[in-house]
Amino acid sequence: MAVRIVKVKRPTQPWSSMRPWWAVVVGLWVSTRHFFVNLGRFLRGSQDFTVHFPEQRFVHPPALRGMPVLVQMENGKERCVACGLCEWACPTTCITIFPAETNNEVERYPEVFDIDMSRCMFCGYCEEACPEEAIVMSRQVEISSYSRQGSLWHKEDLLVPISQLKTRIDYLRSHYER
Amino acid sequence: MSVDKSQASSEADRSSGQPLSPMMVRVRQVLGELILEHRCFRGDDRIHVARERILEVCQKLRDDVELAFDLLLDVTAIDYLGQPDDFERPREIWDQERPVLRRHPARRHELVLPPRGPHPRFAIVYHLTSTTRFHRLRIKCRVPEDDPTIASLTPVWPGANWLERETYDLYGIRFIGHPDLRRIYLNEEFVGHPLRKDYGKFDEQPIQPYVGPGAKEPRRPH
Amino acid sequence: MSDQELKNLVAPIDGANRRLHGFEGDLHTEPMRIQFGPSHPATHGTVRIVLDLDGERIVDADVQVGYLHRGFEKECETGLYYQNIPYTDRLNYSSPMLNNVGYCLAVEKLFDIQTPPRCQFLRVVGGEISRMVDHMLAIGSSAMELAAFTPMLYLLEGRELLLDLTDALCGARVTTNFTRIGGLCADMPEGFKEFAIPRLDRALKLVEDADKLLTENPIFRERMEGTGRLPAQDLIAWGVTGPILRAGGIPYDVRRVQPYLVYGDLDFDVPVGEHSDNFDRYLVRLEEIRQSRRLILQCLERMPDGPVDSDDPRVRWPAKRRVYTQMEELIDQFKLVTEGGYPPPGEIYQAVEAANGELGFYLVSDGSGRPWKCRCRSPSFSNISPMNLMLKGGQLADVVPTFGMINMIGGETDR
Repeated sequence: MAVRIVKVKRPTQPWSSMRPWWAVVVGLWVSTRHFFVNLGRFLRGSQDFTVHFPEQRFVHPPALRGMPVLVQMENGKERCVACGLCEWACPTTCITIFPAETNNEVERYPEVFDIDMSRCMFCGYCEEACPEEAIVMSRQVEISSYSRQGSLWHKEDLLVPISQLKTRIDYLRSHYER
Repeated sequence: MSVDKSQASSEADRSSGQPLSPMMVRVRQVLGELILEHRCFRGDDRIHVARERILEVCQKLRDDVELAFDLLLDVTAIDYLGQPDDFERPREIWDQERPVLRRHPARRHELVLPPRGPHPRFAIVYHLTSTTRFHRLRIKCRVPEDDPTIASLTPVWPGANWLERETYDLYGIRFIGHPDLRRIYLNEEFVGHPLRKDYGKFDEQPIQPYVGPGAKEPRRPH
Repeated sequence: MSDQELKNLVAPIDGANRRLHGFEGDLHTEPMRIQFGPSHPATHGTVRIVLDLDGERIVDADVQVGYLHRGFEKECETGLYYQNIPYTDRLNYSSPMLNNVGYCLAVEKLFDIQTPPRCQFLRVVGGEISRMVDHMLAIGSSAMELAAFTPMLYLLEGRELLLDLTDALCGARVTTNFTRIGGLCADMPEGFKEFAIPRLDRALKLVEDADKLLTENPIFRERMEGTGRLPAQDLIAWGVTGPILRAGGIPYDVRRVQPYLVYGDLDFDVPVGEHSDNFDRYLVRLEEIRQSRRLILQCLERMPDGPVDSDDPRVRWPAKRRVYTQMEELIDQFKLVTEGGYPPPGEIYQAVEAANGELGFYLVSDGSGRPWKCRCRSPSFSNISPMNLMLKGGQLADVVPTFGMINMIGGETDR
């Protein structure tokens, strides 16, 4: 409605220029207050900022986009039908799929499904493009490896049982209707 | 630039079919015959001028009190390699000439070069705005491939300095009268200009030996 | 040489001074050239400044950028319109949502799409959170470079609180990929308002603490006041926008002069300075943090219900339930993912006010699914170009506060 133009006020005759100790008093007061507030939080065991990582884990919100994984159904098969849509959608072309066919109920399956995690940028387009809910962004974010080869994830590594992906799939289903 | 000026501008008027903005009316009064063409797309006004007159045009636009285009926002170039002017033609004709490329994702970065056409290859684009009147204008000049030069705008806006260096670096347009026309992003030994359409995305550069201080003798092969 | 440079060059070494130092005649000096960067702790970003010094006074400065050039524009020319949105996160990596919003507004202008009001309000919320984060990082890091370590810790603590909000909105803290063409990646989560308001208040309290520590601090003011000064007409001539131009007294803010999204309906102040030096740039940034918080609170208060995505079939991916069950929507999904939408041929320029100034996207479409040209007018690039004028005649120690208050972001400058 109204945009005003205001001039910033710089302290023309600051206390500090007359009395330099005043800045010291203010500084000590502010930092001491922070010290005691943080000490109180520490004694109460509040985990506001410092998370002692390997023992404690950060609580991510439900919207978190971790690394993309393949959904493994209860019968041990992947849900993916190798349509290649995630391969198309991926901006960095980090997904490689070789499709194959069988005589099972679901005829198509990916013979090779590789994700080059050194190129993946966690944008989530593969999940949005997938017409089968077969690739989802898991809550897994610890994906470092000792070698370049280790950051190439194959189908066997990427398969995660559907029971472990419940949070993400519930989140996706919460905006099914969009 | 053999277009008949009056004819081109009157055609543009008819094709846009909407009244000119007050800013454009004033621009016409100020520039007059210097405007080769005026187009308006989604409310963005743009004028085409001859590249020989660009300095004069910018001077007039900046110094006019009612227009007061004092802020040069951007200088860049477009490479219309083998393409006609500005793509603004009916869609059907366009599709017949250049079918939409359907390529596999792994091959989508492959270079597909259209043949060179009769039109000038480059267009230099300037974006202007005013910090007091808040209107915007885009100026375009076509520049041919065999003589990619245009007058530098540094006498009018010193801020054109870096923007023109960038355009020189990425497109190879040479700005006459620029005080310091060096490459800005890439190294001096870089071969070619990467934003030209005939520079492939995965093109590689020859490896340059390091010649600065502390350079070692090249290691002999075993 | 402009008047300003001459004024800066007035030598403090006069005759009396020379006698004091024990020499009467002409002292033989020669300029010394030092390299500031590319990996200096104070160049947060990779930039090299080649300084010619006469004693401690800067005679000439050559700012060399390009160490982070990675071909953003070339990359965009080979990607579909929607595939380029994640790349815009990496332009200004301290305020990624503003870049997302800018790019999507540009593509929507090209397609001529209107987004629903809820989407517009949410984009303002996301963008203003990013602006707060960016300004806090700019103030905090330049305070740290001036040896004031504590305010940086407070501001980073506030930044963490705000990044929690972006995390809840889009599932990532820095590489947000928040917007989609004609919509957003997700609707606002349940209870976001109750989650956000205490965090915004706590972040503001931390900013006020940093304000108390810095604004009246004699050392900080000695380093900031009067350094890096450039008059407003020079700033305009060099194409500088954003907080630096506003610190020179020019109230040019794209949110005010050409309101996009819902900024026309919201209340906010545009702070301007008058001295055009580093301290005014700091004060303008500090005030903009408070105004951004005001904007977020207004948006959360007035957040309308309804969809967050436009239903334009050219760009909007169909709803997942129908993709799973209906053939037509499945075909639609395949078409949209593999080919994107086809905009009409034409070219547009859309500007938004990013944290450092006017961020513009200039898109040229040839009617296919990929942009023929995608140009990003990055504010940092234009802002850092007159840096040698700001430095000339000053002291070597002025490089650090000037550079910190220009707040050059490497990803955006070098693209």
